[in-house]
Amino acid sequence: MDQQIVNAIFIGSIYALFAVGYTLVFGVLDILNLAHSAVFMLGAAVTYTLVVSYGQSFWVACVGGILVSALMGLVIEHVCLRPLRRRQAPPISALISTIGLALVILAAVEQGKAGSFFAWLWKDGANAVAFPPSTIPNPTWHVGDLTLEASKVAIIPIAIALMLLLGYVIRYTQVGRGLRAVAENPRAARLMGVDVDRIISLTLVISSALGGLAGILFGVALGGISPYMGRDQVEVRGLAIIVLGGMGSVAGAVVGGYLLALIELLALISLGSSARGGVAFAALFLVLILRPQGLFGTRLRERI
Amino acid sequence: MKRLHLVGLLAVAALVAACGSSGGGAPSYSGKTIKLGAILSLTGAGGVYGPSSSEGMKLAVKQINGSGGVNGATIDLAVEDDQSDKNISSQKAQTFIQQNQVLALLGPTLSNSALTVHPLAETLKTPILAVSTTGIHIVPDCKFPETTPCAYVFRDSLGEETAIPTNIKAYADEAHPKTGVLLVAQDDKFSKDGGTIVQANTDKNGIQLLKTIPFNKGDADLTPYVTQAVQLKPDVIFITSLGQIPAQIMTAARKQGWQGQFLGGNGFNTAAVSKQAAANGKGARSGSAWYLGNTFPSNADFVSAYKAEYSKDPDQFAAQGYTAIKILADSARRANLTFGASAIAGDRDKLRTAMESVNLPSTPLGPFQFTSTHDVKQTVWIIQMDGVGGFTLVKEVKAS
Amino acid sequence: MDFFISLFSDPVGFYASHTLLIGQIGINGIVATSMFLVLYSGQLSLAAPGFMAIGAYVSVLMGLHWHTPGALNMLVAALLAGVVGFLVGLPVLRLRGVFLAIATIGFIEALRLGVILNLPITGEGLGLSNPKADPLGGVNFILPSFIVIVFVIWRLTKGRLGNAWAAIRQDELAALSQGIHVARYKMIAFVISALMAGYAGALEAHLTFNVDPGEGNFGVTRAVQILTFAVLGGSGFVLGPVVGALIITLLPYIFDAAGPYINIVSGIFLIAVIIFRPQGIVGRGGLAIIRPSWWPRRARVSAPTPG
Repeated sequence: MDQQIVNAIFIGSIYALFAVGYTLVFGVLDILNLAHSAVFMLGAAVTYTLVVSYGQSFWVACVGGILVSALMGLVIEHVCLRPLRRRQAPPISALISTIGLALVILAAVEQGKAGSFFAWLWKDGANAVAFPPSTIPNPTWHVGDLTLEASKVAIIPIAIALMLLLGYVIRYTQVGRGLRAVAENPRAARLMGVDVDRIISLTLVISSALGGLAGILFGVALGGISPYMGRDQVEVRGLAIIVLGGMGSVAGAVVGGYLLALIELLALISLGSSARGGVAFAALFLVLILRPQGLFGTRLRERI
Repeated sequence: MKRLHLVGLLAVAALVAACGSSGGGAPSYSGKTIKLGAILSLTGAGGVYGPSSSEGMKLAVKQINGSGGVNGATIDLAVEDDQSDKNISSQKAQTFIQQNQVLALLGPTLSNSALTVHPLAETLKTPILAVSTTGIHIVPDCKFPETTPCAYVFRDSLGEETAIPTNIKAYADEAHPKTGVLLVAQDDKFSKDGGTIVQANTDKNGIQLLKTIPFNKGDADLTPYVTQAVQLKPDVIFITSLGQIPAQIMTAARKQGWQGQFLGGNGFNTAAVSKQAAANGKGARSGSAWYLGNTFPSNADFVSAYKAEYSKDPDQFAAQGYTAIKILADSARRANLTFGASAIAGDRDKLRTAMESVNLPSTPLGPFQFTSTHDVKQTVWIIQMDGVGGFTLVKEVKAS
Repeated sequence: MDFFISLFSDPVGFYASHTLLIGQIGINGIVATSMFLVLYSGQLSLAAPGFMAIGAYVSVLMGLHWHTPGALNMLVAALLAGVVGFLVGLPVLRLRGVFLAIATIGFIEALRLGVILNLPITGEGLGLSNPKADPLGGVNFILPSFIVIVFVIWRLTKGRLGNAWAAIRQDELAALSQGIHVARYKMIAFVISALMAGYAGALEAHLTFNVDPGEGNFGVTRAVQILTFAVLGGSGFVLGPVVGALIITLLPYIFDAAGPYINIVSGIFLIAVIIFRPQGIVGRGGLAIIRPSWWPRRARVSAPTPG
C-alpha cells in the first residue's frame, strides 16, 4: 500500500510537469495545444536517440532533448498558430492545426527505422524502448519495504523547483508581467506596448520545454519510450488535470497532477484495475459539472 | 496385347515422372499472372509486425519468380497498408477481392482487424491466409459466436492456444511451480485471449492461479499492478500483452525484488521486447512458432537469403510471411487453375481446396501442414530471453 | 491513383466493389452532420463516439439475443442513444466552449473504459461479433439514410430552430435576452445529434462483422477525427462537415503513393488546409492566402468575417 502511494507521487510529479505546460498555453492564448503530447514524446525520443545512437552522455542528451522540445515550441507558434492569428481565424482552427502537427511528429518518429529517411531521429519504429541501464544513473534504495529509485525520487525536487521558478518568473519579472498582460487581454497588452507575438512565442517555448522534460523524466523512470507514449499516457490525462486544477492556473496544474495520480490509485485499490481508467474520466466529468472552474481557476473562459 | 499395355504403362509412367520432377502433372501456367493481395499494418501500432511480414513475403515471391514461377506463372503480390485501422483494413480487402480480383489474400496483421476482414473474405468466398494473428476465434470459427467453420480462412501463424499451453507445460514439468499470478491487458483481443488460455492451463499443470490482474494498455504506470502481483509472492508471473508492456512489467517486478519465472506468449517473441527488457527479462520464457537458430535446413537457407536481401536477421513474422507465399504457390500449382476474367470464383474455390491438402516438407517453420481446422501443425520452440536483446533455445516440442 | 481512374471509367463496377468504403463515407457523413448540428448551435460537444458506441452495441446485442430484425434494432439503438444524450445533456449543457468539450470527452471515455470494457455482455475487450453484418448490401441502406438526414437537418437550419441555434451560437446571452429559451434549444440540438450518432454507430456495426471498443473506434481518437471532419469542411453550412468527412475518409487513398509516410503527408495536408482556409473548405469568407511581405500585392476585395 505504501509502495502504491510512493508510485502515485512519482507519477503525479510527471503529470504535473506536463500539465503545467498545457495550462500555460491555455492561460495565455486560450488555446489547447494538442501538439503538447507529441512534444512530450519527442523530448524523450530525441534524448534516447542522442544517448543510444550518437553516444552522448545522458546529461548532454537531456540538454539536447530539452532544446529540441523548446524549438518545437517555436515551430508550433510559427507554423500552427501565428498564421491563424494573422487572419483572425476562429480559435477552433488552432486546435486542428496543432492536431495536424502532432500527427506529423508522431508519424515521423514511427517511421524512424534503420535505413529509413528518419533514422537520424529514431531507429526503433513503432517499438517501445527504455534507456539502457548503464546510461542513466539510477541507484535503487530499499527503505523498509519500499523500493525507491533515484530517477523517480529526483523527479519531485526537479518538478517543484521548476514550478517555483516559473511562479517566480510570472510574478516578479518583466517577462512575467507581459505574460499576465497577454493572458488577461491581448489587445490591451499590445496597446500598452507589450510585444504580444514575442510573449506568445516565449510561452510556447517554455511550455514545450517543460513538456519535453516531462517526457524525458517519464522515459527515465518508467521506460516505455515509443512514438505513442504521448498519445497513450498523457494526452487525455493532461486535459483531466488542467480541468481539475483550473484551466490557466499553474498551481492548479501542479495540484491537479498529484490529485489525478491519487484518484487513479484509489480507484485501483477500491475498484480493481479494470475500472481505473474509467474512474479518472468519471471524476473529470463530475468536477466539470459541480465546479467547472476547477480548484484554482477564477473565471470561466469560453472559447469557440 | 500385354506388350502394348506394358508400353502404355511405361509411357504413362515416364510422363508422370517427367511431370513429377517439375512438380505435379499440372498444366503449364506460362504467361499467366497469379495475383495476391496482402493487407498489412505498415503504419500505426501494428507497424512493428507488418513490415517484417511484407519483407518475408516479397523475398519468397522474388525467389519463386526467379526460378520459373508457379508452373510458369509469375506471382504479382500487392501489399497495402491498413494503418492498423480495421475499417481501412476491410475496405482494402474488398478492393483487392472485387476490383483487383486477386486469387487470395494474406493478412491482416492485427487480430482486431482480422475479426472484420476474415468474415468479409469468407462472405466473398476468397481464400485468406493469416500470417501473424494468433488469437482465438481466428480459425475455424471466424464468425464467432456462429460455429459454422469458415471454409476460406487459414492461418500459418501458430496460435496462442497451442503455444501458451506448451510453454506452461514445459516449464511445469521441469520446475514444478506451485503458484502463479496473471497480468493481462484486458482492452486488447490478443492479450485477452492469451489471458483466457493461461487461466485454462494453470490447474492442469499443478499451478494455483492466485490472482488475475487485468489492466488497460493505456495505463501510464504499471507499477501498481506489478506491486499487487509481487506482494502475493508467486512462483510464476504470467504476462499476456503486446508492445512495451511485457518489458515494463519485467523491469518493475525485478526492481521490486521478485525473483521468480516469467512466462508469456507471442508478446515476448520479438527482439525489440528482449532488448527493452534487457537484463530484467533474462530467462523469461515463451512458446514460439519460429526461432532464428532452429535446426531445419530450410530455415538456414531462408535466414541467409533474408540477410543477403535485407542486411538484417529475419524474425518470426518474416518467416511466417515467407512460408505463407510458399503455401499459396504450392497450392496454386496443384489447383489446376483456369485463369481468365470470369474464372476467378472457380479458381478461388480450387485454390481453397488445394490449400487444405498442402504438405510442404521444408519451410523455415519446418514441415508444414494445416490441421482439419485450417490451423497450424508444427513444432513449438520454447525460447527464453538472454538478457541482451536476443533469445536462446530451451526446448523443441514437436507437433503431436 | 488507379483507384480514381476506375471510379470514373466504371462507376457501377466501382460502386459494387467498394461498398465498404462508400458505406463508411455515408456513415462518416452522418456523424459529421451530427457534429455540424452541435457546432451550429454553438456547442463544442465531442460526445459522438459515445453515442455511436451505444448505437452499435445495442443494435448488435438485440440481434444476437432477441433475434429482432435489423431495422428495428437500429431504430431502438438510435433512440436509446438519444435518451442517453438527454441524460448526459442535462448536467453538461451549462458548460461552454472547451469545458463542454472536455466534459464530453470525460463521458465517452468513462463509458468506454468504465462501462463497456467491464460489462461481460459487451464482450469486454474482445468486442462483439456481428455475424449478421452485410458488407455488400449495407451501403444501399446507408446512402439513402444519409441523404434523408442531411436534407432534414438542412431544412431544420432554415426554420425556426435554425434561427434560434444561430442566435445562440452568435451570442448566448443576447439570445437569452431576446426571449429564446436557450437551454431547451441547446438540448434539442444535442439530443438530435445523439440520435444521429447512435444511428451511425448502428449502421457501422451492420457493415462490419465486429464491434471493437478500442480507442480508435469509440474513444478520443475518433472524437478528434469527427471534429476534424467538421472544422476541415467548415461548420457554417450543413454540407461542410460532410465534405470534410469525405476527404478524410479518402485520405488513405488520395495519398496512397506516400506509402509509409502517409500520416506525415496527411498531417501536413491538414495543417495546410486549415491555414489557407481557416473557416473550412466549404466555409464562408474569402480565400485568404498568406503572402510573404515581399510578394507584389494586387488590389483585392476580401473581408474575412469571423464565425
